Amino acid sequence: MRDPVSYAFPPGYNGTAILEQLDQVLDPELDESILQLGFVRALRVDADHVTVALQLPTSWCAVNFAFLMADDIRRALLMLKGITRVTVQLGDHCTAEAIETAVQGGHSFAAAFPDAGDESLEVLRLTFRRKGFLSRQERLLRDLQAAGYTPEAICALRLSDAVAADGTCLLRPPTHVPDDRSPPETLRRYLQCRAEFGLDCTRTAPLIIDLDGQPLPVARLQAYYQHARTVRVALEANGAFCRAMLAARQHPCSLHPSP
Amino acid sequence: MYTHNGQDLFVIDGHMHFWDARPENWKNQYGESWIQCFYGYHSALSPADAVWPFDKFCHYGTEAVVDDLFRHGYVDMGILNSTYLYEFYKNGFNSHVQNHTIKAQYPERFLLCGSFDPRDEEAGLDILRQTVAEYPITGLKLYTAEWRNGSRGWRLNDPWAYKYLELAQELGIKNIHVHKGPTVYPLSRDAFDVHDVDYAATDFPALNFIVEHIGLPRLDDFCWIATQESNVYAGLSVAMAFVHLRPRYFGEIMANLLFWLGPDKLCFGSDYAIWSPKWLIEKFMAYDIPDDLQQEYHASLTLEIKRKILGENMARLYGIDIAAQRAKLRQDGLGGPGVA
Repeated sequence: MRDPVSYAFPPGYNGTAILEQLDQVLDPELDESILQLGFVRALRVDADHVTVALQLPTSWCAVNFAFLMADDIRRALLMLKGITRVTVQLGDHCTAEAIETAVQGGHSFAAAFPDAGDESLEVLRLTFRRKGFLSRQERLLRDLQAAGYTPEAICALRLSDAVAADGTCLLRPPTHVPDDRSPPETLRRYLQCRAEFGLDCTRTAPLIIDLDGQPLPVARLQAYYQHARTVRVALEANGAFCRAMLAARQHPCSLHPSP
Repeated sequence: MYTHNGQDLFVIDGHMHFWDARPENWKNQYGESWIQCFYGYHSALSPADAVWPFDKFCHYGTEAVVDDLFRHGYVDMGILNSTYLYEFYKNGFNSHVQNHTIKAQYPERFLLCGSFDPRDEEAGLDILRQTVAEYPITGLKLYTAEWRNGSRGWRLNDPWAYKYLELAQELGIKNIHVHKGPTVYPLSRDAFDVHDVDYAATDFPALNFIVEHIGLPRLDDFCWIATQESNVYAGLSVAMAFVHLRPRYFGEIMANLLFWLGPDKLCFGSDYAIWSPKWLIEKFMAYDIPDDLQQEYHASLTLEIKRKILGENMARLYGIDIAAQRAKLRQDGLGGPGVA
Protein backbone atom coordinates (compact mmCIF):
# COMPACT_ATOMS: atom_id res chain seq x y z
CA MET A 1 0.00 0.00 0.00
CA ARG A 2 1.77 3.13 -1.12
CA ASP A 3 0.86 6.37 -2.73
CA PRO A 4 1.93 7.04 -6.30
CA VAL A 5 4.78 9.48 -6.83
CA SER A 6 3.60 12.87 -8.03
CA TYR A 7 5.54 14.15 -11.03
CA ALA A 8 6.07 17.68 -12.30
CA PHE A 9 8.10 17.40 -15.50
CA PRO A 10 8.42 19.94 -18.33
CA PRO A 11 6.11 19.09 -21.29
CA GLY A 12 7.42 16.11 -23.23
CA TYR A 13 10.11 15.35 -20.62
CA ASN A 14 11.05 11.69 -20.27
CA GLY A 15 11.72 10.95 -16.62
CA THR A 16 12.79 7.34 -17.10
CA ALA A 17 16.47 8.00 -16.49
CA ILE A 18 15.71 9.83 -13.25
CA LEU A 19 13.49 7.02 -12.02
CA GLU A 20 16.10 4.43 -12.92
CA GLN A 21 18.71 6.32 -10.95
CA LEU A 22 16.38 6.72 -7.96
CA ASP A 23 15.60 3.02 -8.07
CA GLN A 24 19.29 2.37 -7.40
CA VAL A 25 19.27 4.44 -4.21
CA LEU A 26 18.81 2.15 -1.23
CA ASP A 27 17.69 2.59 2.29
CA PRO A 28 21.04 1.33 3.57
CA GLU A 29 19.54 -0.20 6.67
CA LEU A 30 16.96 -2.22 4.74
CA ASP A 31 18.83 -2.89 1.48
CA GLU A 32 15.75 -1.90 -0.48
CA SER A 33 15.20 0.79 -3.09
CA ILE A 34 13.73 4.02 -1.71
CA LEU A 35 11.42 4.04 -4.72
CA GLN A 36 10.12 0.54 -3.95
CA LEU A 37 9.74 1.44 -0.29
CA GLY A 38 7.52 4.39 -1.25
CA PHE A 39 9.77 7.03 0.34
CA VAL A 40 9.72 9.24 -2.78
CA ARG A 41 6.64 11.44 -2.71
CA ALA A 42 7.25 13.93 -5.50
CA LEU A 43 9.63 14.66 -8.32
CA ARG A 44 10.03 17.96 -10.07
CA VAL A 45 12.27 18.92 -12.96
CA ASP A 46 12.95 22.59 -13.83
CA ALA A 47 15.46 22.70 -16.69
CA ASP A 48 18.70 21.36 -15.11
CA HIS A 49 17.34 21.27 -11.56
CA VAL A 50 15.70 18.20 -9.99
CA THR A 51 13.78 18.38 -6.74
CA VAL A 52 13.03 15.16 -4.91
CA ALA A 53 10.56 15.27 -2.03
CA LEU A 54 10.80 12.38 0.41
CA GLN A 55 8.48 11.16 3.09
CA LEU A 56 10.27 8.86 5.50
CA PRO A 57 8.33 6.43 7.70
CA THR A 58 8.61 8.71 10.71
CA SER A 59 9.78 12.22 11.40
CA TRP A 60 12.35 10.73 13.79
CA CYS A 61 13.94 8.20 11.42
CA ALA A 62 17.62 7.80 12.25
CA VAL A 63 19.39 10.98 11.20
CA ASN A 64 22.48 9.19 9.88
CA PHE A 65 20.50 6.94 7.54
CA ALA A 66 18.29 9.83 6.42
CA PHE A 67 21.44 11.77 5.58
CA LEU A 68 22.88 8.85 3.61
CA MET A 69 19.74 8.50 1.51
CA ALA A 70 19.53 12.22 0.74
CA ASP A 71 23.21 12.35 -0.15
CA ASP A 72 22.97 9.23 -2.33
CA ILE A 73 20.01 10.72 -4.22
CA ARG A 74 21.99 13.84 -4.98
CA ARG A 75 25.00 11.86 -6.20
CA ALA A 76 22.89 9.49 -8.29
CA LEU A 77 21.02 12.27 -10.07
CA LEU A 78 24.08 14.46 -10.67
CA MET A 79 25.48 11.58 -12.73
CA LEU A 80 22.77 12.22 -15.32
CA LYS A 81 23.52 14.35 -18.34
CA GLY A 82 21.78 17.72 -18.17
CA ILE A 83 21.24 17.70 -14.40
CA THR A 84 23.42 20.18 -12.53
CA ARG A 85 21.38 20.89 -9.43
CA VAL A 86 19.59 18.54 -7.04
CA THR A 87 17.44 19.52 -4.11
CA VAL A 88 16.30 16.83 -1.68
CA GLN A 89 13.44 17.73 0.64
CA LEU A 90 12.82 15.70 3.78
CA GLY A 91 9.38 17.05 4.62
CA ASP A 92 8.61 16.90 8.32
CA HIS A 93 11.72 14.95 9.33
CA CYS A 94 13.07 16.28 12.62
CA THR A 95 16.37 17.36 11.09
CA ALA A 96 15.07 18.12 7.58
CA GLU A 97 16.60 21.58 7.38
CA ALA A 98 20.05 20.56 8.58
CA ILE A 99 20.22 17.58 6.22
CA GLU A 100 18.86 19.54 3.24
CA THR A 101 21.38 22.33 3.73
CA ALA A 102 24.33 19.97 4.24
CA VAL A 103 23.48 17.76 1.27
CA GLN A 104 22.84 20.72 -1.02
CA GLY A 105 26.20 22.18 -0.06
CA GLY A 106 27.98 18.83 -0.38
CA HIS A 107 29.00 18.91 3.30
CA SER A 108 29.81 15.79 5.30
CA PHE A 109 27.56 14.28 7.94
CA ALA A 110 30.17 14.91 10.62
CA ALA A 111 30.26 18.60 9.71
CA ALA A 112 26.47 18.88 9.79
CA PHE A 113 25.99 16.89 13.02
CA PRO A 114 29.16 17.24 15.08
CA ASP A 115 27.69 15.61 18.20
CA ALA A 116 25.68 12.83 16.57
CA GLY A 117 27.94 10.03 17.76
CA ASP A 118 31.30 8.59 16.94
CA GLU A 119 30.28 5.91 14.47
CA SER A 120 31.58 6.99 11.07
CA LEU A 121 28.92 7.13 8.43
CA GLU A 122 31.04 5.18 5.97
CA VAL A 123 31.67 2.42 8.50
CA LEU A 124 27.95 2.26 9.13
CA ARG A 125 27.22 2.12 5.42
CA LEU A 126 29.74 -0.67 4.92
CA THR A 127 28.31 -2.66 7.84
CA PHE A 128 24.89 -2.58 6.23
CA ARG A 129 26.21 -3.21 2.70
CA ARG A 130 27.79 -6.39 4.05
CA LYS A 131 24.48 -7.39 5.59
CA GLY A 132 22.83 -6.59 2.26
CA PHE A 133 25.28 -8.89 0.45
CA LEU A 134 24.53 -11.75 2.84
CA SER A 135 20.82 -11.25 2.62
CA ARG A 136 20.84 -11.19 -1.21
CA GLN A 137 23.01 -14.28 -1.26
CA GLU A 138 20.70 -16.03 1.19
CA ARG A 139 17.74 -15.45 -1.14
CA LEU A 140 19.69 -16.98 -3.99
CA LEU A 141 20.73 -19.96 -1.87
CA ARG A 142 17.13 -20.40 -0.81
CA ASP A 143 16.00 -20.43 -4.45
CA LEU A 144 18.71 -22.91 -5.37
CA GLN A 145 17.71 -25.24 -2.55
CA ALA A 146 14.06 -24.93 -3.54
CA ALA A 147 15.02 -25.77 -7.13
CA GLY A 148 16.53 -29.02 -5.91
CA TYR A 149 20.23 -28.20 -5.91
CA THR A 150 22.15 -30.21 -3.32
CA PRO A 151 24.86 -28.55 -1.19
CA GLU A 152 27.48 -30.29 -3.35
CA ALA A 153 25.89 -28.97 -6.53
CA ILE A 154 25.60 -25.43 -5.12
CA CYS A 155 29.25 -25.31 -4.10
CA ALA A 156 30.32 -26.60 -7.51
CA LEU A 157 28.42 -23.91 -9.47
CA ARG A 158 30.43 -21.35 -11.41
CA LEU A 159 29.12 -18.02 -12.65
CA SER A 160 29.02 -19.47 -16.18
CA ASP A 161 26.59 -22.13 -14.90
CA ALA A 162 24.21 -19.44 -13.69
CA VAL A 163 24.34 -16.76 -16.37
CA ALA A 164 24.73 -17.26 -20.12
CA ALA A 165 27.04 -14.99 -22.09
CA ASP A 166 23.99 -13.01 -23.24
CA GLY A 167 22.90 -12.45 -19.64
CA THR A 168 20.03 -14.95 -19.47
CA CYS A 169 19.65 -17.03 -16.36
CA LEU A 170 20.60 -20.67 -16.71
CA LEU A 171 19.44 -21.82 -13.27
CA ARG A 172 16.45 -24.10 -12.98
CA PRO A 173 13.44 -22.31 -11.59
CA PRO A 174 12.56 -23.28 -8.01
CA THR A 175 9.54 -25.44 -7.47
CA HIS A 176 8.50 -23.28 -4.55
CA VAL A 177 9.30 -19.60 -4.18
CA PRO A 178 8.12 -18.47 -0.75
CA ASP A 179 8.75 -14.74 -1.15
CA ASP A 180 7.73 -14.51 -4.79
CA ARG A 181 11.10 -13.42 -6.11
CA SER A 182 12.01 -15.16 -9.33
CA PRO A 183 15.54 -16.59 -9.60
CA PRO A 184 16.74 -14.11 -12.22
CA GLU A 185 15.87 -11.24 -9.85
CA THR A 186 17.57 -12.79 -6.83
CA LEU A 187 20.52 -13.67 -9.04
CA ARG A 188 20.70 -10.19 -10.55
CA ARG A 189 20.60 -8.49 -7.14
CA TYR A 190 23.25 -10.79 -5.72
CA LEU A 191 25.61 -10.33 -8.67
CA GLN A 192 25.14 -6.56 -8.61
CA CYS A 193 26.12 -6.41 -4.95
CA ARG A 194 29.01 -8.81 -5.53
CA ALA A 195 30.36 -6.56 -8.27
CA GLU A 196 30.01 -3.48 -6.02
CA PHE A 197 32.27 -5.18 -3.48
CA GLY A 198 34.86 -5.70 -6.22
CA LEU A 199 34.65 -9.49 -5.86
CA ASP A 200 35.64 -11.74 -8.74
CA CYS A 201 32.82 -11.77 -11.30
CA THR A 202 34.62 -13.59 -14.11
CA ARG A 203 32.74 -16.47 -15.68
CA THR A 204 34.87 -19.20 -14.13
CA ALA A 205 34.55 -17.83 -10.57
CA PRO A 206 32.47 -19.86 -8.10
CA LEU A 207 28.87 -18.65 -7.84
CA ILE A 208 28.78 -18.69 -4.04
CA ILE A 209 31.68 -16.95 -2.31
CA ASP A 210 31.96 -15.20 1.03
CA LEU A 211 32.73 -11.52 1.53
CA ASP A 212 36.45 -12.29 1.47
CA GLY A 213 36.00 -13.76 -2.00
CA GLN A 214 36.59 -17.32 -0.75
CA PRO A 215 34.55 -20.21 -2.15
CA LEU A 216 32.48 -22.14 0.40
CA PRO A 217 33.38 -25.76 1.10
CA VAL A 218 30.34 -28.04 1.32
CA ALA A 219 30.98 -28.61 5.02
CA ARG A 220 30.62 -24.89 5.73
CA LEU A 221 27.61 -24.17 3.55
CA GLN A 222 24.83 -25.00 6.01
CA ALA A 223 26.25 -22.93 8.90
CA TYR A 224 26.96 -20.08 6.50
CA TYR A 225 23.42 -20.22 5.19
CA GLN A 226 21.90 -20.21 8.70
CA HIS A 227 23.93 -17.15 9.53
CA ALA A 228 22.95 -15.31 6.34
CA ARG A 229 19.32 -16.25 6.92
CA THR A 230 19.19 -14.43 10.23
CA VAL A 231 20.76 -11.35 8.66
CA ARG A 232 18.09 -11.42 5.93
CA VAL A 233 15.31 -11.79 8.52
CA ALA A 234 16.70 -8.86 10.52
CA LEU A 235 16.74 -6.61 7.45
CA GLU A 236 13.26 -7.71 6.40
CA ALA A 237 11.84 -7.23 9.87
CA ASN A 238 13.18 -3.68 9.85
CA GLY A 239 11.68 -3.13 6.43
CA ALA A 240 8.32 -4.42 7.68
CA PHE A 241 8.51 -2.07 10.63
CA CYS A 242 9.33 0.93 8.41
CA ARG A 243 6.58 0.06 5.93
CA ALA A 244 4.04 -0.21 8.73
CA MET A 245 5.07 3.19 10.07
CA LEU A 246 4.89 4.76 6.60
CA ALA A 247 1.52 3.17 5.84
CA ALA A 248 0.13 4.49 9.12
CA ARG A 249 1.15 8.01 8.10
CA GLN A 250 -0.22 7.81 4.60
CA HIS A 251 -3.40 5.85 5.28
CA PRO A 252 -4.17 6.04 8.98
CA CYS A 253 -7.57 4.35 8.63
CA SER A 254 -6.76 1.48 6.32
CA LEU A 255 -4.16 -0.54 8.21
CA HIS A 256 -4.84 -4.20 7.98
CA PRO A 257 -2.78 -7.29 8.64
CA SER A 258 -0.74 -8.79 5.82
CA PRO A 259 2.07 -11.30 5.63
CA MET B 1 -3.21 -15.55 34.10
CA TYR B 2 -4.14 -16.99 30.77
CA THR B 3 -6.20 -20.16 30.75
CA HIS B 4 -5.84 -22.49 27.80
CA ASN B 5 -7.83 -25.74 27.69
CA GLY B 6 -8.03 -25.75 31.47
CA GLN B 7 -4.33 -25.07 31.93
CA ASP B 8 -3.21 -21.86 33.59
CA LEU B 9 -0.29 -19.92 32.19
CA PHE B 10 1.42 -17.53 34.57
CA VAL B 11 2.16 -14.25 32.79
CA ILE B 12 4.88 -11.77 33.60
CA ASP B 13 4.93 -8.65 31.48
CA GLY B 14 8.67 -8.07 31.44
CA HIS B 15 8.47 -4.57 30.05
CA MET B 16 5.81 -2.04 31.02
CA HIS B 17 5.59 1.60 31.90
CA PHE B 18 3.59 3.93 34.10
CA TRP B 19 4.57 7.24 32.56
CA ASP B 20 3.62 10.88 32.80
CA ALA B 21 4.03 12.59 29.43
CA ARG B 22 1.43 15.32 29.95
CA PRO B 23 2.38 18.62 28.31
CA GLU B 24 2.87 20.22 31.74
CA ASN B 25 5.68 17.72 32.36
CA TRP B 26 7.48 18.46 29.06
CA LYS B 27 10.70 20.30 29.71
CA ASN B 28 11.36 21.20 26.07
CA GLN B 29 10.37 20.13 22.56
CA TYR B 30 12.05 16.76 23.11
CA GLY B 31 9.47 15.82 25.73
CA GLU B 32 6.80 16.24 23.09
CA SER B 33 8.84 14.50 20.33
CA TRP B 34 9.50 11.52 22.58
CA ILE B 35 5.85 10.81 23.34
CA GLN B 36 4.83 11.55 19.74
CA CYS B 37 7.37 8.96 18.65
CA PHE B 38 5.91 6.40 21.08
CA TYR B 39 2.42 7.29 19.87
CA GLY B 40 3.53 6.67 16.30
CA TYR B 41 4.62 3.14 17.22
CA HIS B 42 1.39 2.64 19.15
CA SER B 43 -0.92 3.72 16.35
CA ALA B 44 1.03 2.06 13.52
CA LEU B 45 1.17 -1.44 14.99
CA SER B 46 -1.90 -1.76 17.24
CA PRO B 47 -5.19 -3.20 15.98
CA ALA B 48 -7.55 -0.32 15.17
CA ASP B 49 -9.79 -0.96 18.17
CA ALA B 50 -6.80 -0.82 20.55
CA VAL B 51 -5.63 2.67 19.52
CA TRP B 52 -5.99 5.30 22.23
CA PRO B 53 -6.54 9.01 21.84
CA PHE B 54 -3.27 10.94 22.25
CA ASP B 55 -4.37 12.59 25.52
CA LYS B 56 -4.93 9.26 27.24
CA PHE B 57 -1.63 8.00 25.84
CA CYS B 58 0.20 10.89 27.50
CA HIS B 59 -1.14 9.96 30.91
CA TYR B 60 -3.34 7.00 31.74
CA GLY B 61 -3.13 6.56 35.50
CA THR B 62 -3.26 3.65 37.92
CA GLU B 63 -6.73 2.37 37.09
CA ALA B 64 -5.93 1.94 33.40
CA VAL B 65 -2.80 -0.05 34.25
CA VAL B 66 -4.70 -2.35 36.61
CA ASP B 67 -7.49 -2.84 34.05
CA ASP B 68 -5.28 -3.33 31.02
CA LEU B 69 -2.78 -5.64 32.69
CA PHE B 70 -4.48 -7.57 35.48
CA ARG B 71 -8.25 -7.32 35.06
CA HIS B 72 -8.43 -7.76 31.29
CA GLY B 73 -4.90 -8.32 30.00
CA TYR B 74 -4.08 -11.78 31.50
CA VAL B 75 -0.96 -10.42 33.20
CA ASP B 76 -0.09 -11.65 36.69
CA MET B 77 2.91 -9.42 37.30
CA GLY B 78 4.48 -6.47 35.55
CA ILE B 79 8.07 -5.27 35.56
CA LEU B 80 8.22 -1.49 35.78
CA ASN B 81 10.97 -0.42 33.41
CA SER B 82 11.88 2.93 34.91
CA THR B 83 12.92 5.52 32.33
CA TYR B 84 14.11 8.86 33.65
CA LEU B 85 14.74 11.29 30.78
CA TYR B 86 15.18 14.30 33.06
CA GLU B 87 16.58 16.20 30.09
CA PHE B 88 13.18 15.97 28.40
CA TYR B 89 10.68 15.76 31.29
CA LYS B 90 10.58 18.02 34.35
CA ASN B 91 9.73 15.23 36.79
CA GLY B 92 11.13 12.43 34.65
CA PHE B 93 9.20 10.20 32.25
CA ASN B 94 8.62 7.24 34.58
CA SER B 95 11.22 7.31 37.30
CA HIS B 96 11.35 4.64 40.00
CA VAL B 97 9.77 7.20 42.34
CA GLN B 98 6.72 7.58 40.06
CA ASN B 99 6.66 3.84 39.41
CA HIS B 100 6.85 3.08 43.10
CA THR B 101 3.50 4.80 43.70
CA ILE B 102 1.74 2.00 41.82
CA LYS B 103 3.93 -0.74 43.27
CA ALA B 104 3.18 0.53 46.79
CA GLN B 105 -0.51 0.12 46.06
CA TYR B 106 -0.14 -3.40 44.59
CA PRO B 107 3.16 -4.67 45.97
CA GLU B 108 2.80 -8.28 44.81
CA ARG B 109 1.83 -7.29 41.28
CA PHE B 110 4.95 -5.39 40.31
CA LEU B 111 8.70 -5.73 40.17
CA LEU B 112 10.45 -2.38 40.25
CA CYS B 113 13.52 -1.48 38.22
CA GLY B 114 15.93 1.23 39.23
CA SER B 115 18.72 2.50 37.04
CA PHE B 116 22.15 4.07 36.98
CA ASP B 117 24.09 6.32 34.71
CA PRO B 118 27.84 5.77 34.79
CA ARG B 119 28.39 9.40 33.83
CA ASP B 120 27.48 10.25 37.44
CA GLU B 121 30.74 8.52 38.37
CA GLU B 122 31.51 8.38 42.12
CA ALA B 123 28.49 10.40 43.30
CA GLY B 124 26.06 8.11 41.50
CA LEU B 125 27.34 5.02 43.31
CA ASP B 126 26.09 6.43 46.61
CA ILE B 127 22.79 7.39 45.03
CA LEU B 128 22.33 3.84 43.72
CA ARG B 129 23.14 2.43 47.19
CA GLN B 130 20.66 4.77 48.79
CA THR B 131 17.94 4.13 46.20
CA VAL B 132 18.18 0.38 46.63
CA ALA B 133 18.00 0.83 50.39
CA GLU B 134 14.89 3.03 50.15
CA TYR B 135 12.96 1.29 47.37
CA PRO B 136 12.17 -2.38 46.70
CA ILE B 137 14.32 -2.49 43.58
CA THR B 138 15.12 -5.93 42.17
CA GLY B 139 16.23 -5.07 38.66
CA LEU B 140 17.84 -2.27 36.73
CA LYS B 141 16.73 -0.73 33.45
CA LEU B 142 19.55 0.88 31.53
CA TYR B 143 19.23 3.35 28.69
CA THR B 144 22.64 3.56 27.09
CA ALA B 145 21.41 6.15 24.60
CA GLU B 146 20.20 8.67 27.16
CA TRP B 147 21.42 12.23 26.77
CA ARG B 148 23.28 13.91 29.58
CA ASN B 149 24.99 17.30 29.56
CA GLY B 150 25.97 17.20 25.92
CA SER B 151 26.88 13.49 25.98
CA ARG B 152 24.78 11.41 23.59
CA GLY B 153 25.09 8.09 25.37
CA TRP B 154 27.39 5.57 27.04
CA ARG B 155 28.36 1.94 26.75
CA LEU B 156 27.95 -0.99 29.14
CA ASN B 157 31.67 -1.71 29.00
CA ASP B 158 32.76 1.82 29.99
CA PRO B 159 34.99 1.60 33.10
CA TRP B 160 32.48 3.47 35.24
CA ALA B 161 29.63 1.24 34.04
CA TYR B 162 31.61 -1.73 35.36
CA LYS B 163 31.84 -0.10 38.79
CA TYR B 164 28.07 0.24 38.82
CA LEU B 165 27.55 -3.36 37.71
CA GLU B 166 29.89 -4.48 40.50
CA LEU B 167 27.87 -2.47 42.99
CA ALA B 168 24.57 -3.83 41.66
CA GLN B 169 25.88 -7.33 42.19
CA GLU B 170 27.01 -6.44 45.70
CA LEU B 171 23.52 -5.09 46.44
CA GLY B 172 21.95 -8.38 45.37
CA ILE B 173 20.53 -7.19 42.06
CA LYS B 174 20.76 -9.87 39.39
CA ASN B 175 18.72 -8.63 36.47
CA ILE B 176 19.86 -5.93 34.11
CA HIS B 177 17.37 -4.85 31.44
CA VAL B 178 19.14 -3.00 28.66
CA HIS B 179 17.20 -1.01 26.08
CA LYS B 180 18.50 -1.91 22.65
CA GLY B 181 15.81 -1.20 20.14
CA PRO B 182 14.50 0.97 17.34
CA THR B 183 15.54 4.57 17.20
CA VAL B 184 13.60 6.80 19.50
CA TYR B 185 14.02 10.38 18.44
CA PRO B 186 15.91 12.30 19.76
CA LEU B 187 18.33 9.60 20.92
CA SER B 188 21.19 8.72 18.63
CA ARG B 189 21.32 5.44 16.82
CA ASP B 190 24.79 4.16 17.54
CA ALA B 191 24.26 4.17 21.29
CA PHE B 192 21.77 1.33 20.75
CA ASP B 193 24.42 -0.91 19.18
CA VAL B 194 24.35 -4.26 21.03
CA HIS B 195 28.02 -5.20 21.09
CA ASP B 196 28.72 -3.69 24.50
CA VAL B 197 26.36 -6.29 26.03
CA ASP B 198 28.80 -8.98 24.89
CA TYR B 199 31.64 -7.56 27.00
CA ALA B 200 29.54 -6.94 30.10
CA ALA B 201 27.89 -10.36 29.94
CA THR B 202 31.26 -12.10 29.75
CA ASP B 203 32.72 -10.06 32.60
CA PHE B 204 29.65 -10.38 34.85
CA PRO B 205 28.60 -14.01 34.51
CA ALA B 206 26.45 -13.87 37.66
CA LEU B 207 24.23 -11.11 36.23
CA ASN B 208 21.44 -11.65 33.71
CA PHE B 209 21.26 -9.25 30.79
CA ILE B 210 17.81 -8.95 29.27
CA VAL B 211 18.16 -7.18 25.94
CA GLU B 212 14.91 -5.28 25.57
CA HIS B 213 13.50 -5.22 22.02
CA ILE B 214 16.03 -7.93 21.04
CA GLY B 215 18.35 -5.33 19.59
CA LEU B 216 15.99 -4.51 16.69
CA PRO B 217 17.04 -3.35 14.13
CA ARG B 218 20.13 -5.44 14.91
CA LEU B 219 18.47 -8.79 15.53
CA ASP B 220 21.32 -10.68 13.84
CA ASP B 221 24.01 -9.12 16.05
CA PHE B 222 21.87 -9.83 19.09
CA CYS B 223 21.45 -13.50 18.11
CA TRP B 224 25.21 -14.05 17.83
CA ILE B 225 25.82 -12.53 21.25
CA ALA B 226 22.95 -14.29 22.99
CA THR B 227 24.06 -17.61 21.52
CA GLN B 228 27.55 -17.21 22.93
CA GLU B 229 26.65 -15.75 26.31
CA SER B 230 24.60 -17.98 28.57
CA ASN B 231 23.41 -14.98 30.63
CA VAL B 232 21.95 -12.91 27.78
CA TYR B 233 18.17 -13.07 27.35
CA ALA B 234 15.69 -11.77 24.78
CA GLY B 235 13.13 -9.18 25.90
CA LEU B 236 10.43 -9.54 23.27
CA SER B 237 8.63 -6.21 23.45
CA VAL B 238 8.36 -4.46 20.06
CA ALA B 239 8.90 -7.84 18.34
CA MET B 240 5.62 -9.03 19.92
CA ALA B 241 3.68 -6.29 18.17
CA PHE B 242 4.44 -7.84 14.75
CA VAL B 243 2.11 -10.73 15.64
CA HIS B 244 -0.84 -8.65 14.48
CA LEU B 245 0.25 -6.63 11.45
CA ARG B 246 3.04 -8.80 10.05
CA PRO B 247 2.45 -12.34 11.33
CA ARG B 248 4.88 -13.98 8.91
CA TYR B 249 7.76 -11.74 9.96
CA PHE B 250 6.82 -12.42 13.55
CA GLY B 251 7.14 -16.12 12.73
CA GLU B 252 10.53 -15.59 11.13
CA ILE B 253 11.77 -13.61 14.12
CA MET B 254 10.51 -16.25 16.57
CA ALA B 255 11.93 -19.09 14.47
CA ASN B 256 15.33 -17.41 14.51
CA LEU B 257 15.21 -16.75 18.24
CA LEU B 258 14.22 -20.36 18.93
CA PHE B 259 16.89 -21.59 16.55
CA TRP B 260 19.75 -19.61 18.10
CA LEU B 261 18.70 -19.06 21.71
CA GLY B 262 16.24 -21.88 22.41
CA PRO B 263 12.96 -21.54 24.34
CA ASP B 264 14.45 -20.83 27.79
CA LYS B 265 15.85 -17.38 27.06
CA LEU B 266 12.84 -15.61 25.55
CA CYS B 267 10.77 -13.30 27.75
CA PHE B 268 7.44 -11.68 26.97
CA GLY B 269 7.04 -7.92 27.26
CA SER B 270 4.32 -5.60 25.98
CA ASP B 271 6.02 -2.24 26.33
CA TYR B 272 2.69 -1.08 27.73
CA ALA B 273 1.27 1.51 27.10
CA ILE B 274 2.81 1.47 23.63
CA TRP B 275 1.04 -1.85 23.12
CA SER B 276 -1.46 -3.56 25.35
CA PRO B 277 -0.99 -7.09 26.73
CA LYS B 278 -4.60 -8.16 26.11
CA TRP B 279 -4.40 -8.25 22.32
CA LEU B 280 -0.74 -9.22 22.25
CA ILE B 281 -1.36 -12.29 24.41
CA GLU B 282 -4.61 -13.29 22.68
CA LYS B 283 -2.96 -13.16 19.27
CA PHE B 284 0.22 -14.83 20.52
CA MET B 285 -1.73 -17.71 22.08
CA ALA B 286 -3.67 -18.19 18.83
CA TYR B 287 -0.46 -18.11 16.79
CA ASP B 288 1.97 -20.66 15.54
CA ILE B 289 4.92 -20.30 13.20
CA PRO B 290 3.88 -20.99 9.56
CA ASP B 291 4.41 -24.61 8.46
CA ASP B 292 7.21 -23.99 5.97
CA LEU B 293 9.21 -22.06 8.59
CA GLN B 294 8.55 -24.77 11.20
CA GLN B 295 10.03 -27.33 8.86
CA GLU B 296 12.97 -25.19 7.94
CA TYR B 297 13.94 -24.19 11.46
CA HIS B 298 12.60 -27.24 13.30
CA ALA B 299 10.92 -24.77 15.63
CA SER B 300 7.35 -24.24 16.69
CA LEU B 301 5.51 -22.40 19.43
CA THR B 302 4.08 -25.25 21.45
CA LEU B 303 1.98 -24.58 24.54
CA GLU B 304 4.99 -25.54 26.64
CA ILE B 305 7.17 -22.98 24.91
CA LYS B 306 4.50 -20.28 25.12
CA ARG B 307 4.26 -20.95 28.84
CA LYS B 308 7.98 -20.39 29.20
CA ILE B 309 7.95 -17.23 27.12
CA LEU B 310 4.94 -15.69 28.80
CA GLY B 311 6.12 -16.14 32.37
CA GLU B 312 8.24 -19.08 33.43
CA ASN B 313 11.51 -17.78 32.03
CA MET B 314 11.23 -14.40 33.69
CA ALA B 315 10.00 -15.99 36.94
CA ARG B 316 13.20 -18.03 36.98
CA LEU B 317 15.37 -14.94 36.45
CA TYR B 318 13.67 -13.14 39.33
CA GLY B 319 13.48 -16.20 41.58
CA ILE B 320 9.68 -16.19 41.68
CA ASP B 321 7.98 -19.37 42.88
CA ILE B 322 4.94 -19.40 40.61
CA ALA B 323 2.67 -21.51 42.83
CA ALA B 324 3.43 -19.39 45.90
CA GLN B 325 3.02 -16.18 43.94
CA ARG B 326 -0.34 -17.30 42.56
CA ALA B 327 -1.55 -17.87 46.09
CA LYS B 328 -0.50 -14.35 47.09
CA LEU B 329 -2.12 -12.79 44.04
CA ARG B 330 -5.46 -14.39 44.86
CA GLN B 331 -5.58 -12.14 47.92
CA ASP B 332 -5.63 -8.78 46.18
CA GLY B 333 -9.03 -9.17 44.59
CA LEU B 334 -8.07 -7.92 41.16
CA GLY B 335 -9.45 -11.21 39.89
CA GLY B 336 -8.27 -11.12 36.32
CA PRO B 337 -9.25 -13.84 33.89
CA GLY B 338 -8.27 -17.18 35.36
CA VAL B 339 -7.65 -15.86 38.86
CA ALA B 340 -10.29 -17.19 41.21
